Amino acid sequence: MTTTEYALRTDGLGKRYRRTWALRDCTLSVPTGRVIALVGPNGAGKSTLLRLVVGLLAPTSGTVEVLGQSPAANTPQVLSRIGFLAQEHPLYKHFTVADLLHMGRSCNLRFDQGLAERRLAQLDIPLDRKAGALSGGQQAQVALALALAKRPDLLVLDEPMASLDPVARLEFLQALMGAVAADGMTVLFSSHVVPELERVCDHLIVLNHSRVTLAGDIETLLAEHRLLVGPRTTADLDKAGTVVEASHSDRHTTLLVRDGGGPTAPGWQANPIGLEDLVLAYLRRPTRHDVEAPAFSEVPA
Amino acid sequence: MFVFRIDNRSGVPPYLQLVQQVRQAVLLGFLRQGDRLPLIREVAETLAINPNTVAKAYRQLEQEDLVTGRPGQGTFVNEAPTAGMSAATYTSLRRGLETWLNRAHAAGLDEQAVNALFTAVVNRAKNENIA
Amino acid sequence: MTWLAWRQHRAEVFTLSLLVAAIGLFLLVAGSSMRSLFPDGAAACAGGLTDGSDACSTAIRRLNEEHGYASKMLSLLNLVPFLIGAFLGAPLVARELEAGTWQFAWTQAVPRMRWLAVKLGALGALTATLAVALTASITWYRQPLDVLNSRFTTDAFDLEGLVPAGYALFAFAAATAAGAVLRRSLPALAVALGAYLAVRVVVAGWLRPNVQAPRSIMERVAADDATLDAGGSRISTGDRADWIIASGYADPSGRHLSVYEAVEMDVAARAAGVDFSAYMHERGIQQWVLYHPADRFWMFQLIEAAIFVGLAAALLALVVWRIKRRVF
Repeated sequence: MTTTEYALRTDGLGKRYRRTWALRDCTLSVPTGRVIALVGPNGAGKSTLLRLVVGLLAPTSGTVEVLGQSPAANTPQVLSRIGFLAQEHPLYKHFTVADLLHMGRSCNLRFDQGLAERRLAQLDIPLDRKAGALSGGQQAQVALALALAKRPDLLVLDEPMASLDPVARLEFLQALMGAVAADGMTVLFSSHVVPELERVCDHLIVLNHSRVTLAGDIETLLAEHRLLVGPRTTADLDKAGTVVEASHSDRHTTLLVRDGGGPTAPGWQANPIGLEDLVLAYLRRPTRHDVEAPAFSEVPA
Repeated sequence: MFVFRIDNRSGVPPYLQLVQQVRQAVLLGFLRQGDRLPLIREVAETLAINPNTVAKAYRQLEQEDLVTGRPGQGTFVNEAPTAGMSAATYTSLRRGLETWLNRAHAAGLDEQAVNALFTAVVNRAKNENIA
Repeated sequence: MTWLAWRQHRAEVFTLSLLVAAIGLFLLVAGSSMRSLFPDGAAACAGGLTDGSDACSTAIRRLNEEHGYASKMLSLLNLVPFLIGAFLGAPLVARELEAGTWQFAWTQAVPRMRWLAVKLGALGALTATLAVALTASITWYRQPLDVLNSRFTTDAFDLEGLVPAGYALFAFAAATAAGAVLRRSLPALAVALGAYLAVRVVVAGWLRPNVQAPRSIMERVAADDATLDAGGSRISTGDRADWIIASGYADPSGRHLSVYEAVEMDVAARAAGVDFSAYMHERGIQQWVLYHPADRFWMFQLIEAAIFVGLAAALLALVVWRIKRRVF
């Protein structure tokens, strides 16, 4: 039963399109019950990872396991445990909302139509309207209602709010968080916007240049990292291999270290780091050496 | 019903913001014994915030004995720990601080300077207590 | 899942059914008027214009005058099996890829292979059904014509029997496969049309006459054959329903003569003041004909239908392979 304690496990997962690797060497374990943010710049491989997770793609290398089962097997059992909202929340535009609900019922093992109808009624989305005639925010809500009606154990969302205006974004997040609170499902969503993550997520995966550069519970990650500010030095400070990023101004050197706290060297001051700065630091890291050794970068201050 | 707020830019972790808001509300008397805090689901939905965060804040409040969770009913505010402070004491302390603030302003201190001074005094007092 | 297939494609299903019904209705009206020309049935006039009764001659003449458009109309109907197949096939995969809804469709609890099986099965069966309905109405309409002419003419062979369903299934598969590769419905439709026309022209023009070795007849020109024509041999196979592939003249050794040589002989015969047939007979010239007997019709139909169904199966296998491999 230990396998099912993880909502998602990947081991050496990779996906190659012709010559280019969209994702490689991805090894992750995400416990259930989390809201996980998958962060990275556009083209980092976020959509590829998510599509592998929901079984839309088959891995080129490695394995992926969702709730202890392989999504690539594509069985009705696995599919019914995973809800997916693709980028731009595609729906059949000429279907009415009622048609979409009918489809959900006819294409799923379990489908809580009552739940979907209640959600849509709350949002004043008419069932007889064609999906294509709804606003972007409403379409996203319909897609979310359909995915939630599957009563999935894992809900996967690809850039769910990228195309929404601020009001629709908030409404979408409200609906999503309400659903998480009510059903306790695991949520995995990708985003390239960092600021709104902290209130929503408790687990973070940073993907950059097709590789995972940081993954873990946000609280733990924030506790493990800190900013050290001290007199300028260009000596090799990274003997312990804990420096994530170093920047230098005329007089000071600022180090982002992952050392789990502990005493500071004399003359140095330790500060906690915020989530946004932490993510940005990892996104700024050069690609090649990031697994082997953190590199220094000269940042003019 | 008590209403929470979340400030994305404060730098304070969201769960701590929730804890502080309840703490403050209890201290200021906005929340009284027996008041029910909103359900985790309600807070998560209205604030668009991770329910785990709300749960964590409620757990911490329970540990601080500020609230009690009753399964199936909700989370209720306990007897105020500041019961020793009567309304009269509260009012007089507050008056004193207001008077002091007026003097500080008259002396040309801006908000930042006032805060710095206040923090310094509080920290000093804390250190002396420890020592 | 069947509901989804129906809901997604019902517009095409309605339109195509309406089209086939309209064609059927028109053929019913036109066919009734054609039949009224032959109160005793066209079979009574099967002898043709020359050796039938007066009533038959009149009827056949009126048939040629009043129903002369039939041939043009029928060649146009050759496109209908394409329309049926391609309009059901082109959007099958392409529309999902175009709109990104494949991600929506394939993450419900219906495995994508089942999704594909239901869609291909239902729409393929519908394609065949509509094509059979079309074939039935055309065959009924053509009944007098079929009695009077060979069913091997392209007017008849391409529109009757088993082949129209084969053509429609091929169009369906070609459009589906093109859609799965090109990811767009409209270009898929265009590519499928190109493939459809190309394969049909090759099969009808080159493959069909060679499905089986044609029979041949070669006999010496009779001395008093008034129907003999320098432009080409009109030798009879004995059955008007046979399919004549080629015919002509040959010298006593059996070497085929060109039209030029035949005309030269005609000129020589005139110059000598001799009857053309007598002139030819005297020199031992023979007439020859290559033909497929009428009773090969169903075998040829079966073989050609099998070819198109086989091609369709290969194309659908490509679709299955692409979707199974998850290349999208």
